[in-house]
Amino acid sequence: MAGVLVFGDTVGGALAPASLEMAVAGAALAQALNEPLTGALIGDDLAAVAAEFNGGFATLHLIEGKHLRPYTARSAIAAAKAAIDAAAPSVVLFPHTLETREWVPRLAAMLDTGLVMDCTALNAEGSDLVVSKPVYGGGVTAQYVVRGNIRLVTVRTGVFEARAGAATGAVNKIAAVEPAAGRVTLIDEAKAAAASGVRLKDAKVIVSGGRGLGGPANWHYIEETAAAIGGAVGCSRPVADSGWVSSAHQVGLSGTSVKPDLYIAVGISGAVQHLAGISNSSTVVAINLDGDADMFTRANYGVVGDYKDVLPGFIERAKQLRG
Amino acid sequence: MNIIVTVKQVADPNIPPAHIQLDPDGKRIISPFGVPPVINGYDANALEEAIRLKEKHGGKITAVCLGDDSSRESLKYAVAMGADTAILINDPDLVNGDSATVGRALAAAIKKIGGCDLVLCGRQASDTDGGQVLHWIAEALDLPTVVPVTKIEAVEGQQLTVHRLIEDGYQRIKVELPALLGVSSEINEARHPSVRGTMAAGRAMIAGWKAADIGLAAQTPKVELRELQIQVRTTKAELIPGSTGAAQGAALADKLHELGLI
Ligand SMILES: Cc1cc2nc3c(=O)[nH]c(=O)nc-3n(C[C@H](O)[C@H](O)[C@H](O)COP(=O)(O)OP(=O)(O)OC[C@H]3O[C@@H](n4cnc5c(N)ncnc54)[C@H](O)[C@@H]3O)c2cc1C
Ligand SMILES: Nc1ncnc2c1ncn2[C@@H]1O[C@H](COP(=O)(O)O)[C@@H](O)[C@H]1O
Repeated sequence: MAGVLVFGDTVGGALAPASLEMAVAGAALAQALNEPLTGALIGDDLAAVAAEFNGGFATLHLIEGKHLRPYTARSAIAAAKAAIDAAAPSVVLFPHTLETREWVPRLAAMLDTGLVMDCTALNAEGSDLVVSKPVYGGGVTAQYVVRGNIRLVTVRTGVFEARAGAATGAVNKIAAVEPAAGRVTLIDEAKAAAASGVRLKDAKVIVSGGRGLGGPANWHYIEETAAAIGGAVGCSRPVADSGWVSSAHQVGLSGTSVKPDLYIAVGISGAVQHLAGISNSSTVVAINLDGDADMFTRANYGVVGDYKDVLPGFIERAKQLRG
Repeated sequence: MNIIVTVKQVADPNIPPAHIQLDPDGKRIISPFGVPPVINGYDANALEEAIRLKEKHGGKITAVCLGDDSSRESLKYAVAMGADTAILINDPDLVNGDSATVGRALAAAIKKIGGCDLVLCGRQASDTDGGQVLHWIAEALDLPTVVPVTKIEAVEGQQLTVHRLIEDGYQRIKVELPALLGVSSEINEARHPSVRGTMAAGRAMIAGWKAADIGLAAQTPKVELRELQIQVRTTKAELIPGSTGAAQGAALADKLHELGLI
């Protein structure tokens, strides 16, 4: 077993931006371990995506099969095992997504090997793999040594800077074998209507609302602010739990990690679990009635005030400025 | 339906980072004085869902926890909420185990209990933010799993229809019992114990099992915690002045425009 194997990810038939972040994380680790770097993609039609996944791999393994989309854990695990068999790596990296959170730990248990999820730093000490990840919601960082023949790591998105352009050596196509019907069957998928076209994860500007909005009837303040500055809509967990908006909008530890240039948090107190999702945002603005709210310790700019007064003034001026 | 709910006791996740302290070997956090540990939030959601299933379909709920003696408090809380029985695995060799060790110990305990129709776990524990233990349980017991579950839509004989969260909506999934589900907070709002429940919890006998009781052999850890470090946050927001809220809002827009952000 030698080598670092990096799994990319696809969304809607395109390469997920996190994939090239994984490649960068994997390349550094492969160099430190002095082992080769290989890549892998799982999906149903990978030709175009594979061309974009140029992370400098000695070999790129493509595991293709119609049954791999939409996602099911059983098929993903079988496909990943095929790639791991082909690459025989000592370390495998995956982007930390709602999918990998489900199937990678089951894979670890099947392979009886060490796994740490949601890592933000990876280091080699000799042949030891040492990783760091936020714990206690993000207020504390834990450092772990991962052991096992094939050490598995999921990596938080938005932590490593994506870089493309390093050519792939060889492409190895593996036809995925559809696993026998199991005890879990996908019936269908229900997609939530997205409030704006931009995916939260890739949005440059995000306006996020919290419990401080007071109720779903006030949610239009957030939508209107986002619309005025061309941003995506986010929310804190209580807002999603209470069903004011769908969970797809939730930012934070158990929601999406975002990386915008501008993040405006309205009526959000700034719990560590929320801040965990915005740590890679460039400029953070807090609008909160309570000047002692923790959100102000992460924000670059703050407005202490009632959002019902602040946002209309903001929207009006922003519209003028943007012409 | 016989249901086992795994319940972990954790430091209160609402402790602000500035108040978190580490023990001398840097491997555990010490809760500030007067802030008792709590039952992991997602596990409370799992227990709530178990109680709702029992109310509809009958059966029995067993709460299982691996932890030190103080974890009895969380198991009492589970009984107060509505669990019928509670079991504590409090072997010092297991308490600081990695996910594989803890998961296999919980699986061994579930076997000793005599199995069940459904294991309900939280999607993750709020102290480790691990998200793994449930999968080690499932693999050891060869159970199908779905995570994160936001709704149990239907129960038909030995089949459940559940919703699994995806990035832009949810999947509807059929799963055959016995199965293990990792529950997310969207699924319900956990109840607070009633007075009657709290009285029952006061009388409840909580069994304490050691590794030998569940036939568990020593294991070499696959993941070793080296140290914890508290993240100090230093930024202090520059406050936007203004005589009224609307004026502050306009000044904020000016500022962000000046910075080229809007
Ligand atoms: C394991 C775990 C995972 C979690 N994951 C997440 C996650 O992914 N994302 C997440 O967000 N949370 C998460 N949480 C929950 C988190 O701990 C907090 O409970 C949550 O973020 C609080 O949401 P909030 O700030 O909207 O509400 P609150 O904490 O209730 O804050 C509301 C804020 O609004 C302000 N306010 C009130 N009225 C007004 C007004 N008129 N104008 C302006 N401001 C006003 C108040 O001053 C207050 O600061 C998680 C918790 C756990 C335990
Ligand atoms: N020590 C424990 N005792 C009981 N249940 C646990 C324990 N550790 C983890 N679990 C269960 O497994 C889930 C995931 O835990 P973790 O992998 O630590 O994030 C939790 O929500 C619990 O339901």
